[in-house]
Amino acid sequence: MSILETNNVSKQYQMGKVTVNALAGVDFNVEQSEFVAVMGPSGSGKSTLMNILGCLDTPTQGCYRLGGTDVRDLDDHQLSRLRNREIGFIFQTFNLLPRANARQNVELPLVYAGIAGAARRRLATSALDRVGLVDRTDHKPNELSGGERQRVAIARALVSDPSLLLADEPTGNLDSGTGEEIMRSLNRIWMEGRTVIVVTHAEEIARHTQRILRLHDGALVSDDRRPGDG
Amino acid sequence: MGLWEAIRMGCEALQANRLRSALTILGTVVGVVAVVSVVSITQGLNRYVSQEILSMGSHIFSLDKYGFITSNEEYFEAARRKDLRSDDARYLQDHLTMAAAVVPTAHYTVDVLWEGRQAKDVALVGIGSGYAALGDEFDIACGRHLTYQEEATRRRSAVIGSDIAEELFGAVDAIGQRMRVGRESFWVVGVLKQRGAVLGTSRDNVVLMPITTFESIYGSRRSISIIIKAASPAVYEACQEEAMLLLKLRRGRQPWEPPDFGVQNSETYYAFYSRATSLFYLGMIAVVGLSVVVGGIVMMNIMLVAVTERTKEIGIRMAVGARRRDIMMQFLIEALALSSSGGILGVLLGALIAVLVNVLSPLPARVEFWSVFVGLCMAVGIGVVAGVYPAMRASRLAPVVALGYEK
Repeated sequence: MSILETNNVSKQYQMGKVTVNALAGVDFNVEQSEFVAVMGPSGSGKSTLMNILGCLDTPTQGCYRLGGTDVRDLDDHQLSRLRNREIGFIFQTFNLLPRANARQNVELPLVYAGIAGAARRRLATSALDRVGLVDRTDHKPNELSGGERQRVAIARALVSDPSLLLADEPTGNLDSGTGEEIMRSLNRIWMEGRTVIVVTHAEEIARHTQRILRLHDGALVSDDRRPGDG
Repeated sequence: MGLWEAIRMGCEALQANRLRSALTILGTVVGVVAVVSVVSITQGLNRYVSQEILSMGSHIFSLDKYGFITSNEEYFEAARRKDLRSDDARYLQDHLTMAAAVVPTAHYTVDVLWEGRQAKDVALVGIGSGYAALGDEFDIACGRHLTYQEEATRRRSAVIGSDIAEELFGAVDAIGQRMRVGRESFWVVGVLKQRGAVLGTSRDNVVLMPITTFESIYGSRRSISIIIKAASPAVYEACQEEAMLLLKLRRGRQPWEPPDFGVQNSETYYAFYSRATSLFYLGMIAVVGLSVVVGGIVMMNIMLVAVTERTKEIGIRMAVGARRRDIMMQFLIEALALSSSGGILGVLLGALIAVLVNVLSPLPARVEFWSVFVGLCMAVGIGVVAGVYPAMRASRLAPVVALGYEK
């Protein structure tokens, strides 16, 4: 069953007088429990696609269905709920709140899910435990290394147990060793049965996945399914 | 997201920016301080003045040439009037049917001496012998009152205020002493009870003498005032009407004409006083209004800056599931937390000012509950008005824009 489905999804930006086609009619489906890489040079529309898939942005034309629902039919309340429960997002720049410590950052989705204090702390701590940071719960982001920050971000993405994990260049700001570690984490997350989509421009990252979508100038140019290892 | 959660987050954000938070609430603090302290002081003043006016005696009024002068025009108009004389007082004494006492008084300022000691600028009062009926401010501490006999024979007898007794005679018994009043020599026959001070001016620096003696020394061509006490509170109004009618006719005016003399009673004092304090209140409203507007604008600006600075944070929150409502609430609560802490600070400072005034001045200033209430409501109002627009701006950001993706 398709967890998500794009149908002729396009996105145009107005940059002054110039109209930029970030996405020009992208069609693909992603099945439950797939591990997908989205690749392409910078400016190919990868991040735009990711934002649309993560319900942070809406397509100008075309239709995006998530779990069978056209997101155009959803209001802010329902979209927020999707982002909160169904989607975990990992960013290149981690996007942690600088004033909050690791645990508070991980708790953030639960705050908006309306989960109260003690239960929230417990869930956040166990999520941090899963990424191996249980001894770093009280550290602020600036007291953590890049890899640790990204692992806090992963814990935050997973804490509300979403079925879909979106990672936008998750290793872009990390050295290759740490990047490799993060990719192994994503692999584990996928093995747990989640759908994982990762945006990257590095082949060695894409190597971890089962399927590679290649974008060029906002259009899908190839869709390679690779049998096997992941 | 729960309300408690939002409040906790708001307070954290404010703590992260202490100096800015403090500057932001300055306008609110000033406004609330103004409300609380000015209301406390004015109410204190009100209580003080009404006490003083009540102590004048409630059914007493006085007639004089000038009345209550509040402008130059009034003064020049009044100066052309006929003087009031002690024979007018005698006439009223003989013809008023509802008066318990009719007491003429005349005033002068002199120095008083006794055995080389001097009391300067003493209020000299020539007074009719019925004065003892006017109220407890003429109560005698020792010795006796001036008598009708002394008035009739223009005796050089004096009743002195407690300040004079202390300054001139000290431990010596003043009764029976002979002192110099101006150039004249007087017997002290009595000492008044201490009356205290009104707004810093002592009312005990006084010498009373028979009105007749006063006129024989200082002349009878000066205008006097006539203090009249009604026989009872019930006939107070009627007694005033009667006195005014009699005096108008005696001065050759028709009953329907306005009086060409002044009538003063506790109401006229109070009316004047209320007019003065209403100006004070207007001034306060202007100060408060100004600080509310300034405070509101400053706060809105700072909140807008905060929204701009924290765009990324807003994006992150939206990405993990914050609704627009949650973002709106977060910034609104921050504004409210700011302004209400300004309100609380203002109340505390205002109360401190009231306490200081109470301790350091004769005004019995007291913090009024309603002014605290008004001050806090004002602070909350500023928070809501100044917070809504920035909060709306924050909540309307598109998540992808807030996260800072280049378009």
